[in-house]
Amino acid sequence: MSEKKYWKGLEELYNTPSYQKTVRNEFREELPFGEEIERLMDAKTPRRDFLKYLGFSITAATIAASCEIQVRKAIPYINKPVDITPGVPNYYASTYAQDGDYCPVVVKTLDGRPIKIEGNTSSSITRGGTSAMVQASVLSLYDTARLRYPMIQGKEATWEELDKAVMQGLASLGGAPVVLLTTTLMSPATEQLIQEFIQKYPGARHVTYDAVSYAGMLLANEACYGKRAIPSYHFENAKAIVSLGADFLGTWLSPVEFASQYAQTRKIKGKKADLSQHIQFESYMSLTGANADYRYTHRPSQQPAVVLNLYNAVAQALGKPQLSNVPALQDESLQKGIQRAARLLASHPGEALVVCGSNNPHVQIVVNGLNEMLGAGGKTIDWNAPVNYRKGIDADMQQLVADMEAGKVGAVLIYGANPVYDYYDGQRFAEALKKVKLTVSCNERKDETTVLCQYVAPDHHYLENWGDAEPKAGYYSFIQPTIFPLFKTRAFQESLLAWMGQTPDWHGYLMKFWEPKLGGLEAWEEALQNGVIEPKQVSLAAAPFKGDVQGAAAQLTAQQPKMGELELVLYEKVGIRGGRWANNPWLQEMPDPISKCTWDNYVCISPALAWKLGISINRFNENDLNRPVARISAAGKEITLPVLVLPGMPKDVIAVAVGYGRSPEVGKAAGGVGKNVYPWVNLNSQSLTFEYYQPAATFTLTGETYPLAITQTHNSFEGRPIILETTQKQYNEDPGEATREQREERERYGGENYDTQGTLYPNLYDFPGLKWGMSIDLNSCIGCGACTIACQAENNVAVVGKDRVIAHQEMHWIRIDRYFSGDPENPQVVFQPMLCQQCDNAPCENVCPVAATNHSDEGLNQMVYNRCIGTRYCMNNCPYKVRRFNWRDWWGATSFGGTKDTADMESELTRMVLNPDVTVRGRGVMEKCTFCVQRLQDAKLAAKKAGRPLMDGEAMTACQQACPTQAIVFGNVHDPGAAISQLREENKETRLYYVLDDLHTLPNVNYLVKVVNKDPGDFYVEPVQHVL
Amino acid sequence: MLHYESTVREPLVNGNKDYHQVTEDIISPIEKKPGKLWWIALGFAVTMLLFGVWSVFWETYWGIGVWGENRTVGWAWDITNFVWWVGIGHAGTLISAILLLFRQGWRTGVNRAAEAMTIFAVLCAGQFPVWHMGRVWLAFFILPYPNSRGPLWVNFNSPLLWDVFAVSTYLTVSILFWYSGLIPDVATIRDRAKKKFAKFFYGLCSFGWRGTAKEWQRLEALGLLLAGLSTPLVLSVHSVVSMDFATSVIPGWHETIFPPYFVAGAIFSGFAMVQTLLILTRKILHLEEYVTLGHIEAMNKIIMLTGGIVAMAYITELFIAWYSNVVYEQGAFWWRILGPYWWAYIILITCNVVSPQLFWFKKLRRNIPFTFVMSIVVNIGMWFERFVIIVLSLYHDYMPSAWVYYSPRWPEVGFYIGTFGLFFTCYLLFAKYFPVIAVWEIRSVLKTSGENYKQKMAALEQKDTEEFLQEVQHEHALAAH
Repeated sequence: MSEKKYWKGLEELYNTPSYQKTVRNEFREELPFGEEIERLMDAKTPRRDFLKYLGFSITAATIAASCEIQVRKAIPYINKPVDITPGVPNYYASTYAQDGDYCPVVVKTLDGRPIKIEGNTSSSITRGGTSAMVQASVLSLYDTARLRYPMIQGKEATWEELDKAVMQGLASLGGAPVVLLTTTLMSPATEQLIQEFIQKYPGARHVTYDAVSYAGMLLANEACYGKRAIPSYHFENAKAIVSLGADFLGTWLSPVEFASQYAQTRKIKGKKADLSQHIQFESYMSLTGANADYRYTHRPSQQPAVVLNLYNAVAQALGKPQLSNVPALQDESLQKGIQRAARLLASHPGEALVVCGSNNPHVQIVVNGLNEMLGAGGKTIDWNAPVNYRKGIDADMQQLVADMEAGKVGAVLIYGANPVYDYYDGQRFAEALKKVKLTVSCNERKDETTVLCQYVAPDHHYLENWGDAEPKAGYYSFIQPTIFPLFKTRAFQESLLAWMGQTPDWHGYLMKFWEPKLGGLEAWEEALQNGVIEPKQVSLAAAPFKGDVQGAAAQLTAQQPKMGELELVLYEKVGIRGGRWANNPWLQEMPDPISKCTWDNYVCISPALAWKLGISINRFNENDLNRPVARISAAGKEITLPVLVLPGMPKDVIAVAVGYGRSPEVGKAAGGVGKNVYPWVNLNSQSLTFEYYQPAATFTLTGETYPLAITQTHNSFEGRPIILETTQKQYNEDPGEATREQREERERYGGENYDTQGTLYPNLYDFPGLKWGMSIDLNSCIGCGACTIACQAENNVAVVGKDRVIAHQEMHWIRIDRYFSGDPENPQVVFQPMLCQQCDNAPCENVCPVAATNHSDEGLNQMVYNRCIGTRYCMNNCPYKVRRFNWRDWWGATSFGGTKDTADMESELTRMVLNPDVTVRGRGVMEKCTFCVQRLQDAKLAAKKAGRPLMDGEAMTACQQACPTQAIVFGNVHDPGAAISQLREENKETRLYYVLDDLHTLPNVNYLVKVVNKDPGDFYVEPVQHVL
Repeated sequence: MLHYESTVREPLVNGNKDYHQVTEDIISPIEKKPGKLWWIALGFAVTMLLFGVWSVFWETYWGIGVWGENRTVGWAWDITNFVWWVGIGHAGTLISAILLLFRQGWRTGVNRAAEAMTIFAVLCAGQFPVWHMGRVWLAFFILPYPNSRGPLWVNFNSPLLWDVFAVSTYLTVSILFWYSGLIPDVATIRDRAKKKFAKFFYGLCSFGWRGTAKEWQRLEALGLLLAGLSTPLVLSVHSVVSMDFATSVIPGWHETIFPPYFVAGAIFSGFAMVQTLLILTRKILHLEEYVTLGHIEAMNKIIMLTGGIVAMAYITELFIAWYSNVVYEQGAFWWRILGPYWWAYIILITCNVVSPQLFWFKKLRRNIPFTFVMSIVVNIGMWFERFVIIVLSLYHDYMPSAWVYYSPRWPEVGFYIGTFGLFFTCYLLFAKYFPVIAVWEIRSVLKTSGENYKQKMAALEQKDTEEFLQEVQHEHALAAH
């Protein structure tokens, strides 16, 4: 069929040129501007110019508006001080030796001011470990509540005036004796000086008084070994550890030392675990109890019975003579526990250690007998090096008070001690003090005792002072000043010298004391540089035992106190301890390892008791921090305290921490926080020692509520695979079991190549050089919180105050999650340090609209504070919930109103503690753990300057360095020789796991499975149900 | 019997109206002095607005910490309110754009008010993402402007940035749409104005509109064009908003169902808000003849439909949480329903799923007081939906150690109240000084759907077929001129 052509007009048919043109130009009409367009272009300010001006002004305005200009005055040195290079830190070895707590340290000073405390790794005692209290001690240096000048009758005076007055006072005593009242001193030079002082003032005596006393041990050892001393303990040599109420990981005697030793027995190398077994008997939920493999609870008044029964059970197992007339224990689980402990101890002769927290000498004699029976002497107990940690004898103090009351004391010179606050009858001491002619306090602040003294000669902070310490016989440690004294204070020793009429030169005295002993100036300088001198050869020794165990047992049986319905235990918190350093906002805000409560003391009660009283803490109200208040009365004293329901408390025991309820003059942080419960300390009228419980207490709810600043309110990990644990038996049978599910899940998505194959978006980052990684061993972590405070000090982490903690706006970059599982009356506890996981596929990074958080080519998840506008999207999207937002201007970092100053951080003095290498974050920006990036940069720079690659261990994070148990390993995972790489390789198929691995966040922090030395049958895997 | 049109088509304009009467009814309130009631309402609105300003000042001065948000719940009332207000805006766009494209005549009675509502709602919504920033003075960082910071640019991966574009586009298009529709009516006011200032002001606002055929043609074309542009926006804006959550890793947020679920929810709450506003407006401004029961019923039907969609989404969420076998996902929903915030979930289900079912009864659909109450119930429910999604997902997510409760503090409540103040201040000013019903659009449907014209047709229906057809054609021819 031929194609027909249709046409619309002749033009189309003939296809004329005009028609073609028409087709080409569909729109024929001109634009309707006409001449206007020319006028527009010829105008004086044409449209384009207008746009240019507009563009320029907007850009200029924007740039001008976005510049934050601050005026800074920079004044260079005219004469540069020796050793001080701005921005370059110096490290000085020193020693934290306060009230008998000992920790050799290295002090980091920057631009002439100490800003950080590290453990001294040269010490074999603490092996570089620290505690929260030691870490926080640098802040106390800059405490605004410290006394700044000597005072006479509460008024400022000069030292000359004070010395004159005191010496006059001393001269006009008319023969009445002078008493030096101190806490435990471990300084040999000071001891000598005190002896000289006593010689100068005949009749003078030195009374040592410890707020929390160990007199029971001292007296027991005197009775058993003829030495009024405490031996060294060696937990690292023990395969069987039984603690009878001794919180040796948290507060007992020397927790840093013991934690470090203990951790050595809890490490797992390879596929075979051979852990020590640790059984704890106690009356409240302690940090040590939380770490025990088995834990049994009893009433505090039952402790002698527990010790005696344990003695007999062990004696029976070993076929040794048993004690007669031992009171029976009714509690079935306690009996089982004693049997278990006895089996354990008896099967580890020479590898067993029993420690006891009792202050009753008779109990300690039985414990000594027990240790003797187990052959602990020379193995786990060393009498070659008795320790000087505590020296106070309670009876001496009681005698002193009696003498003072009788007017038999002419003068009291107080140094360190604060009996008005922490003596069991502080009021009586205060009254007695009035009868003393001359009262002088050398304490560093207006504490409860100092305000009652006529003369105040404030001591230096230890970081400003010279000193020495002998923690154990043969072990020496030195203190050197790291800053010129901030105030008109004077070393206690200088005051003594002055009052003896000598030149007040403590440094000179110390050198004169040590130089001959060490053999010259050079040796002295070397000793100062190293910080410690230790014996070359260490041999452990036993001591001949001549204790009368049967006699002690008879005493204990006779002394059986009448048990009330409820008993009250007094305990020390890991952060605040006896309360001397309570005015330290870092310590106040450190969540208690067990209760996770900050800024208060409270009465801990068991879930069973709570249930009985009608207090139900359940999933609907666990977040409500307004907790009921109870009135507790014991020994005729009544105190109201908020109630904290704590799993693990025995059902008939309530527990309250000492160290709180300081007077407002002690400082802003401590003043008025909590209640002082020292008045509840019990005097054992027979042994004249203090006991830290009340056998009969009553407990009534007042119907009121009180807010407690608790940071973690949900106690169960809900069986989620964020915590993986197993038992030693299961581990040895199948080391990979606990992590198998995670490994199989990974296998399904590429195994080794999980990072690229487990995602739809495989183009992740390249890490050409270093790549940082961290490993946290849940088996070594004891939950002590030293890392939290170390991080706070290193990274200028803000203190937010109680009300903000209640609002859950706390700022800690590393927190310790504490989870309970199993029986709420006696749960298993696991601690998990949680910090930024530095994910390689970080959920926080991709959601930031301004790219303020991004990834470095070393695997770090970086926060650019200057870029952050504070949308908080990253915080929401962080599955680990480790990001912290500056809800307020915590320390006047922003030149804007509205500071929320809770820790005196606006004070120029307190701000001296800030680490200048770390930006102080202003209000409205996000922050989080950086893996201490400033330290990493520093280490890299040092290696670069030295022209060599970075070596393993040169870059350490603050948390890692502070950890007393070395639970944290950190390093470059690209270095196959690095500890972190080897650890990961070694545990690849056994204990290594990542938290929330299935989210494909690719964390750079891994955890190692917790292995408990418990029979699988006793190991609870099911979570505590939502209702506690 | 013959019918000129289906009996279900009820008149869109009631009463005996002609073009002039329509103009009189709608424009004359603008020319009168405002009534007492209006002043009282404005007073209330401005008071709320000032309280909001104070709350925001307080928050900006002291920091976000004055809100109840915390280390675990980083968004709460702020973003809940943002999503809620954005959602409300959606009905306006749906009415003006999608219903225009579908030639739904009934939209003419409500579109002007609904569009105004959209704009004011988006303005309110925009306050939240801005003032919730920790450092609001650096808010401009989220705009991709050329800067002197090297390669530093905004993060195009962030859904929050998508929000910026989505919402600002939405606001721009909505304003254009609304304003272009206003021009002829503003010109009418100008033409009627007697006072010098009113003449000048409305003259300025009407951009010299003369009402020529060319102008009308262009206006209609522009209307269609903007309707075409807005249609995807109806779907995209809330989809993008939903991606703030859907692209995250938080259980209860990370859900692929979110975009349609959010859009349906937005329309659900948007229509409820239109109901709230129009029921009040028609009463106060005596516009019952223009916003008829038919209009109200039509919107109630949409509320019922979208309510059904969100109910389906709630069920799907629960099912998938169970089916996924992921502990975190299951945990999130367990704690959502059985955790300390259980009551928020109950409110959500009661308001959004249970109560809209009453609209199955025609009597209730056409009952004005009931509709008014329901419109508020639905908006409470939708507020709680966003609150449940945001707060109840965050407060119990992966790490049990970080679980918290969240309670608002006065500044964030005050901020929310302040946006009501802003909204009603704007709406009251608009309703007083601009025609809240589109006069020219009503005119366009008057002769086909006005009651008196329909009645005129009723007479035809008595005639026989031949005559009927002839008359109808004749009438249409007349109407066309």
